[in-house]
Parts: sequence; C-alpha cells; structure tokens
Amino acid sequence: MDVSQYLEIFIDESNEHLQNLNTQILNLETEPENMDTINEIFRAAHSLKGMAGTMGYKRMQNLTHDMENVFSEVRNGHIKVAPGMIDILFQCLDALDEYVTNIKDSADEGTNDNESLIKQLNAILENKGEIPEQTSEEPKSSAKTAPANDENGDKKWLNIVLDSSQVNVIQAAFDMKKNVYGITVVVQDTCILKAARAFLVFKAVEEKGEVVVSNPPAKDIEDEKFDKDFSLIVISDKSLDEVIKAAAYVSEIASVTGDVIDLSKMKKPQSTNTKKEETKPAAADKAVNVEPKASAKPADKKSSNSGSKPVVNRTVRVDIEKLDVLMNLVSELIIAKNSLVSTTSQEQSQDDAFNEQIEYLESVTTNLHESVMKVRMVPIESVVSKFPRMIRDLSKKLDKKMELYMTGEDTELDRTVVDEIGDPLMHLLRNSADHGLESAELRAERGKPEIGSIFLDAYQDGNNVVIEVRDDGNGIDVDKVRNKAIERGTITQEQAANMTDKEIIDLLFLPSFSTAKAVTDVSGRGVGLDVVRSKIESLSGEVEVRSKLGEGSTWTIRLPLTLAIIQALMIEVGHEKYAISLGSIQTIEDIMVEDIKLVQNKEVIHLRGNVIPLVRLSNVLDVESTKANEESMVVVIVKKGDKQAGLVIDELLGQQEIVIKSLGKYMKQSKIISGATILGDGEVALILDTNALM
Amino acid sequence: MDELKVLNELDTTQYIVIRLGDEQYGVDIKYIDSILRMQRITRVPKVAPHLKGVINLRGEVIPVMSIRLKMNLPEDVETRATRIIILKLEQYGTIGIIVDEVQEVVTLSQDMIEKVSYDPKDDSAHYINGVGKYNDELISLLDFNLVMQEKETV
Repeated sequence: MDVSQYLEIFIDESNEHLQNLNTQILNLETEPENMDTINEIFRAAHSLKGMAGTMGYKRMQNLTHDMENVFSEVRNGHIKVAPGMIDILFQCLDALDEYVTNIKDSADEGTNDNESLIKQLNAILENKGEIPEQTSEEPKSSAKTAPANDENGDKKWLNIVLDSSQVNVIQAAFDMKKNVYGITVVVQDTCILKAARAFLVFKAVEEKGEVVVSNPPAKDIEDEKFDKDFSLIVISDKSLDEVIKAAAYVSEIASVTGDVIDLSKMKKPQSTNTKKEETKPAAADKAVNVEPKASAKPADKKSSNSGSKPVVNRTVRVDIEKLDVLMNLVSELIIAKNSLVSTTSQEQSQDDAFNEQIEYLESVTTNLHESVMKVRMVPIESVVSKFPRMIRDLSKKLDKKMELYMTGEDTELDRTVVDEIGDPLMHLLRNSADHGLESAELRAERGKPEIGSIFLDAYQDGNNVVIEVRDDGNGIDVDKVRNKAIERGTITQEQAANMTDKEIIDLLFLPSFSTAKAVTDVSGRGVGLDVVRSKIESLSGEVEVRSKLGEGSTWTIRLPLTLAIIQALMIEVGHEKYAISLGSIQTIEDIMVEDIKLVQNKEVIHLRGNVIPLVRLSNVLDVESTKANEESMVVVIVKKGDKQAGLVIDELLGQQEIVIKSLGKYMKQSKIISGATILGDGEVALILDTNALM
Repeated sequence: MDELKVLNELDTTQYIVIRLGDEQYGVDIKYIDSILRMQRITRVPKVAPHLKGVINLRGEVIPVMSIRLKMNLPEDVETRATRIIILKLEQYGTIGIIVDEVQEVVTLSQDMIEKVSYDPKDDSAHYINGVGKYNDELISLLDFNLVMQEKETV
C-alpha cells in the first residue's frame, strides 16, 4: 500500500500525539494517580502505535507498543508510577521524536532500535511480576489492543470484554427471545474514510437492531482510531443474515463475519475497574432505556459521560499554501477596493447610493481580511507546550530547582510567526534557567524561595502580541556586562562611562556576547541573544529587557499580529510617496524650525521633556524636499522600544490599509525600505523601515 | 531531405530584437513574459544606480533595471518607443529591463549564430553569448544569466 500521500498527515499527527504525551506525562509526574491522565496517555500511545504500524514504521511501532504495555499495566493499577519510570518514558518520547524527525527528513525512520529503552520498559513490566496472579492477564490486555496477535482469527468480537451491566443487557435480550450477534467488520485496505464507512455500518446495523457494545469504543471508531476492523455486539430480532447483509451493503467493506453470541465464551471484565469502564454502564443503560431508533448516537452519549476527557475540536487540515493563496486574493481585493475608493474621492462623486455601496464593500473586505487572518492564526500553545518539559530537564541538568508558570497559551499569532518564535523563546527560557536563576545557596542567602520561578506570559496588546519571559533570579549585572564589553573591545572605557545601564544591557544583543563565565551545555556558546533579536526583528517584532540586579529580569517580545496587511500612514517626501507602519508611530507634531537644537552636531527637538533626534527623510532618501524653506515642518515621532526619533516629512497623506509586498532580492540592499505596497491608483509606494532609521 | 528540415527546425531559436542606442540586441523569447510601455517607476533609494526602481505588474512589485547603465552606456532617454521588457529568469525571478525600442522577432538557426570570445576591453561583451547574422545585420545575443550574475558581485 502506498502511504506516501499520508506522510504529511502522519507527521503532523505524530507530533501532536507526542506533544500530548509530553504534557500528560508531566501531569502524571505531579499526580501519579490521575486516571484521566493515564487514560489519555494510553490513548495517545495507542494511536501513535497504530499510525506507525499503518505507515510501516516498525521500530517506532515496537517502541510505542512497549510503552503502551506499560501504560496498560498502569491503567489497570498493576504498576505504580515511579519517578524513574517517568524519566524512562521521557527518553522514549525523545526517541520517538527522533523517529518522527527522521521520517520528516527522509521518509525513513532510521535504524536506531532503541533496544536499551525497550529493555528498560520491559524491566518495568517484569517488576510487576512480583504480583503473580496479575501477570497472567498481561497477554490478554495486549491482545486486546494489538489485533495482529489475535488468537480468535476473524471472529474478533470474541475479544470484546463485557462488563457486568452489558452482560445483564445481553442476558435480558436472551430472556426476551431476541437474538444477540457478534459481528466483525473489516474495511478494505484502500478505504480512506474509514470512520465514515464505520458510521454507515453502525447506522445500517442500528436499523436492524441495537448495538450494545463495540470494540474499539464507538468514540474511537468515530475518530478513526482503529486499524482495519471493528467488532460489534448487536441485539436484534432480525436474522443474522439480514444484519450481516445490512452491514456488508456499505461500500468499501472487505468482509463482515458474525455469529450468535454465547455469553459463556465472552471475556469477563477485569478485576480492576478503571474510571473509563465505570462510565460505560451508564451509557449502556441509557441505550437500553430509549427506543432503538434514538440509540443511534451511542457515541455522543459516551463521550459526554466521560467527564473531563478533552473534546476533540472539529477541524480541517488545510495546506498553508492554500491559505497563502487565499490571503493573496484578499490582498488583491483590498487593492482593488482602495483604487475604487480613490477614484470616487477624486471625482467628488455625489452619488449617494454608489458611495454607500463603496462603504459596504469596504466593510466586507475588512471583515474578509480579518477572517482570513484568523484562519491563519494558531494559538502559541503548539510552541510553548514543550517548554514545561524542557524546564524540567534543565532543572535536573543544572541541579537547580525551578518551576515554569505559563499564562496566555491560547494567545493567537499568524502561523508563520508561531513557527518561528519557538527557538527565540527557548533561548530566553534557557537563559533564565541558566544565567538568571541563582544557585540554591545564594537564593537562601537572599531570602528567596528555594524553587526559582520562571514565567512565560503571552497576551494581545492592540495590534501586537506580547510575550514576556520573566524570572525571579539574579537579574543582569550591569557592571559585569560593562567590564566584559571593555575587555572584549566592544566599547572603550570612555564610551562605557557615558552609557546608561540600559544601553549597556543592550550590548547583550550584540553577536558573540555571552556573560556566562563557563560555557555550559545549556547556554553560553556565544550564540543566543543576537540570534534571538535578529529572528524577532525578521518577524517585524522587537525584543527588550528590563532587569534589576538581585530581583530578576523580564524579556519582552512584541510581535505584529499579522505580516501581510497593516495600517499605515502615507506620507510624501519630495513628491515621492512612502508608507510608515502605524504601529511604530507615536505622534505627529508641527515643529518650528527655530525649535531645533543641536546636540553633538545632530539636530534634536525637545518634546514634552524628551530629547528626540531628528531624521530628515529627504536626506536619507536622497530627494529634494519640497518644504525646505518653510518655517514649520511636519515631524512624525516614531518609537522603537524606548527609543524615539522624529522623521521630518514634507506632507501627510493620511491613513490607509496597505498590503505588504516584497521588493524581491534585487532591492534587498536597501535597508531603510522594508517592502512595497500598491496604491489605489496602481502606483507602487515603498514602506519605510523606521527601525533602520534609528 | 525531410530529415534535414526537421533538424533545422529543432535547432532554431526565436529572438526578440531590441535596440539600445545604435546597436541591436537579441533576447531569447523563452525568457520574455511581456513587453510594457514605459510607465512610472518608483525609485528605491540607496540601491545600485542601474536599479531604476519598482513597478506594479498586475499586482506584483517587480524591480526594473536599466541595461544601458548596466553596460556603461549613457542614461536612458525616454521616448515614445521606450519599452520595459519583463523577463522571467529561473534563477533570478521576474525582472524588468528598459530598452530604447523593441523592433521585431527573428528566428535564427544555429548556423546563423557565431559564438563570441570574451573580450576584456569591451564592457558590454560580458553579457553576450553570441552574434546572430540576419539580413546582413548583426544582432548581439544577450545572456541574461550573465547580466544578472555579474550584478551580484558589483
């Protein structure tokens, strides 16, 4: 079977499951008894195994299989969760992650068998051997989850484990002279929409009778969490043939086998009832009490009964390229709209109806733009959820006690930004863990709690998303940085004396500047903060740091919500039109020429207590200003972090929604231009990168 | 006889003949996306002088360069005949070049093209990969991959 077309889905879903496992195992570490968590882990491991098996990745399948065995025993209460076990499980996840990465790179899982891990897993299983009676049950539970080892051949319904209430229901059916059948349905290998086929089978069978129980559970079947076959136990007053025919009538079904149930041959429930199993009787009872037709949705009832089980979102996976195309089309639409708006304003059209329609068009395109943007937005959760695990590992490695507190994981950002933001955040967190937090002794000395805290907070602020990484550690030692900078020749003694603390701290962002005394595995290799900054600036964001010695530091990352369409201020300099992103503009001022002062031969203005350097755009852009001889001038005050600058322009043209287009690599040499946009009249205007002007 | 004819047809290339000053140049037609009348070019500050700026081509922002400045010829003088030729180059993407005039399309077979050797004294010869003879006229065949390549190192 050619599975290459599913490779992408496989990789995506594997990553999701791995992430889920990471989170859940972390939970398990804090609450080893939480049955929901254990069930969730079991489910994820099981799906992963099934997927790896389907795709033919044997090594991955073996490893997950052994992990699943362990979870299965944990779930049945035969093994207690021990810290050592958690470590091994994490190692397994890393190994799985490696498989997935290999698959992603080469469509091959690689050759690492991870035998030692499998041995360790088996050792966990064997330790359980001290409780003899339960050992015998082990093969059964693995048979239940691994149909391949099935001793019952086609009649897989014989593997269904009935609990007491289900037995009662079946018994009652017998008493009422109804027939009870076991049916196993096998879907064709080539079937793509397995879940849909299964649903049709369910529906067909339910027309003939009543489904008491299915293996795997209906919910899993609905989520396509089964391999090629599933089994049902049906109560019906129709003949067996009729029921089988109904099921086989559904297309893409390979075979349907069935027989009358003999209760004595069915498996009885296991002695330990997990929470999941406890919920089943309730669902079954309900199914019995209602009319056969109304029982058409046993799955829904079961899922609502299972309490805290996370509800699976109804989603469609869409190729990001398709969204890009959609976004481009919306951009075109906005350009067309802008051109309509500009023609009407030029012609001073008095036609009210026409203007109304234009306004309507404007609001529709704006909404459309927002919706498309929202589609591209994903919660940063997908990135940050791996951090707790990372901090846990760091904590062990660095032998410092620390805890990560995260808020705002549901904050959404453009997909392209989210994909890129992971590494910089990881750098900052590692920094906080390694350099930020002090050793336990020092913390005790300073009267801080023994466990260091690292915070990761994300929130939306206007058109920006702010992500803060904060720690209650040592903070940045400005003197140390200053000495280091002088030592390295980055700055001279004199310069150092004139620099503010903030400017000194900013030196940290320079390439190859690391204050860690010793190069550790975690950080201090001289790459880091400069990479963080360049990465974030490439996403049109900014990063700054506030720090107080002895109390901790806060790193603030500010990112634009979207990269493609922005609100901009259109200006004119020497008959040329330029756009400045509204996000970076603070105010617009009228300044008299006589108010300009000179500081170190540079023009500055004094504005509400701030000294702001002036940048004459006409000089920067090599054009002749049209307003060179006038007494007052228009100055746009822009900011970058705490820095401000005043851009001297000729004329303000107004605010406009613009679509950012790349200039292409020929024009990349121009650092002060970050892109271009097409105006309503078809003319191209350039977008000024105000950050580069400071 | 028939065979020979087929061979000949396979060996021909179509060129668009453009004029720069007094000289005629040929551009392989396979690179050409479209030919536009001269239009307003938005200047991009702080780039090499032969990069004249950008234009809006059906919603895309396309860079435009002056091949005259590139070849150290005098600055373009805009006339009614001035055109922008949009080229699609595999390696360098879409780019516009300004030419004095677009004249005609000619079909040249391999035997009508003479390879030229590199002459370090002649600036414009950097960009030429052959000379075509057509109706007693000489057409220098531009190789845009050479034109672009050199640009990167400038």
